[in-house]
Formats: sequence, structure tokens, C-alpha cells
Amino acid sequence: MRHTIRRRKHEVPELNMAALPDLIFTVLFFFMIVTHMRDVDKRVVYEIPAGQKMEQVGHQKNVVYIYIGRPTDGSSDDYQIQLGNRIASVADVAAYVKNERLHMSAENQERMTVCIRADRGTPMRLLGEVKQQLRDAYALDVTYSGVSGNKDVTTPHSRR
Amino acid sequence: MFGYRRHSQVPSLNTTSTADISFMLLVFFLVTSSMDSDKGLRRQLPPPPTEEQQAVDIMKDDIMTVVLDGTNQLVVEGDTVSPEQLKQRIVEFAAVAPKRRVIALDVAPDATYDAYFHLQETIVTAYRRLKTAPRISETIGETALQPEEGGAQ
Repeated sequence: MRHTIRRRKHEVPELNMAALPDLIFTVLFFFMIVTHMRDVDKRVVYEIPAGQKMEQVGHQKNVVYIYIGRPTDGSSDDYQIQLGNRIASVADVAAYVKNERLHMSAENQERMTVCIRADRGTPMRLLGEVKQQLRDAYALDVTYSGVSGNKDVTTPHSRR
Repeated sequence: MFGYRRHSQVPSLNTTSTADISFMLLVFFLVTSSMDSDKGLRRQLPPPPTEEQQAVDIMKDDIMTVVLDGTNQLVVEGDTVSPEQLKQRIVEFAAVAPKRRVIALDVAPDATYDAYFHLQETIVTAYRRLKTAPRISETIGETALQPEEGGAQ
């Protein structure tokens, strides 16, 4: 093989790959810095409402998430609450939030915000109970999570 | 340095696979991470009721009752309104004395979260022009949350 190429005397110079690892490492570090790991598995399916006037939720380290939706395993058709990695009942919300707050630094405890990611069809009965629990836990800063988008798209869905 | 002179040259490390390794790491991070930053409507809940809490008298004129009924319809003082009309009404109502006037939300337990979310968004939008936080007193079915204050600037 080598001999055949040499004979032609038109050898293509080899590409210098020395800088490639550095390049990829740079991209890797960029991704490591700007992203956060998904630390929970989805146990419920939900579709959050769309809105336009929304603010950024605080830093990842001071946000406690509450997911409300239908269970992914299809065990029931009712709306369920997911706290951390498991499905829980409404009564557990206050204890969960208090516990999460305990594991934060003092600085983050003050800025703690609870982010509610609930399905569009969640009945307000359930949400009212969750809010009552949050009040009891003194977690008063609440964010209703939503996606940026056109409200009208969801209107027929929500106002049947 | 001296080693080189002595001709006992250290063989260079083969780094061809470094790129592949870092590519694998990169792909791992791309798969496991989520770039989407969360956005949402920020609201402030009222603290839990205390023993020494006293009822505050609010003049009838200073309260606007907004009902979100079980079929996700918005009802203001007996009229069914669209979100756009509601925004107009809130602006008219609150512009007089934004710090004093209270919006009383009466949410049916069967109303959907989506409708509630848009109701909250409407209130935030209406108050944004007034540069003050809305005062909201909220009732969901039997659960009363009063008075909800602040939240959006």
C-alpha cells in the first residue's frame, strides 16, 4: 500500500489533528457549565401552560420542584403529585419542602422558591391543597412554571 | 532536558484517542443535561394565619370579585368576560388606588390550572402598567388564601 502511494509522488499531506482534542474539550466544558443535570426521573406526564409574561426561575440550587400530572405507568388516571423521585400525596408536600430547605445553604434558604410544574388540566382543588401545604411550610415564594408561547393555541383546549 | 542529550528519548504518548474520549464525554453531557431554563409566573403566597391575626375591613368599593367557574369562564360582577375585557376592567378598577384596592379571586375547584394560570397572567399584565404589586385575596373552593399580596413587580 505504502509503496503504491509513494510511487505516484502526489501524497496528500496529513491533516494535523493535534488541536482536535483541545477543541472538543472546550465545547465539553462549555456544556458542563451551562447545563444542569436532570436529577429526577419523570413519574408523571404533564404539559405546562403557555404564557407570555414570565420571568426566569431562580438558580437551580434554590428551587424546589413539584410536579403534578398523570402517572407515567398508567396505574391511575387521576392527577398525582411527584416530589423528588416518587409519587406522593398532598399531605407530604409541606414535609418535603421543609426537608429540601434544610439541605440548602443559608443563603439559598432565604431565596428558596417553589416551582410548580403542573399539567394544564389539573383541577384547582388539588392545586389549592398544594398551596395550603406550601403556606404551612412557610414556602411563600411560588412560581407557576410555563412555556413561552402563543396563548391562543391553548385557548380552545382550556376554555371548552 | 539532559535525557534528550543522552539519546534515551522518552517516546511520545499516543494521543489519538483523546478526541474520541472527549467526544464521548461531550455526547454524555448533551444527552443527560437539559438546556431549557425554567420560566414561570412568580407569585407570593400569604403566610399561614396566626392567632393574633385580625380581620381587616375593606370597603366594598375597593373589592372586585373575579370568579373562575367550573367551566373555566371568567365572571366579574355577574358578567361573563373575556380575558381581554377582564384586563380592561382590572386596569380601570385598580388605577384609582392601586395600593388599596383588592381583587378577590373565587376559583371553582373544578376549574383547570390552565385557566387559572391565564387569569394570573392577565392580572400581572394589567398591574404591570401600574407599577405596583396586585393585592389578591383568593379562595379555591373551601380553601381560603387571604390576602395574597405581591409577587409580580
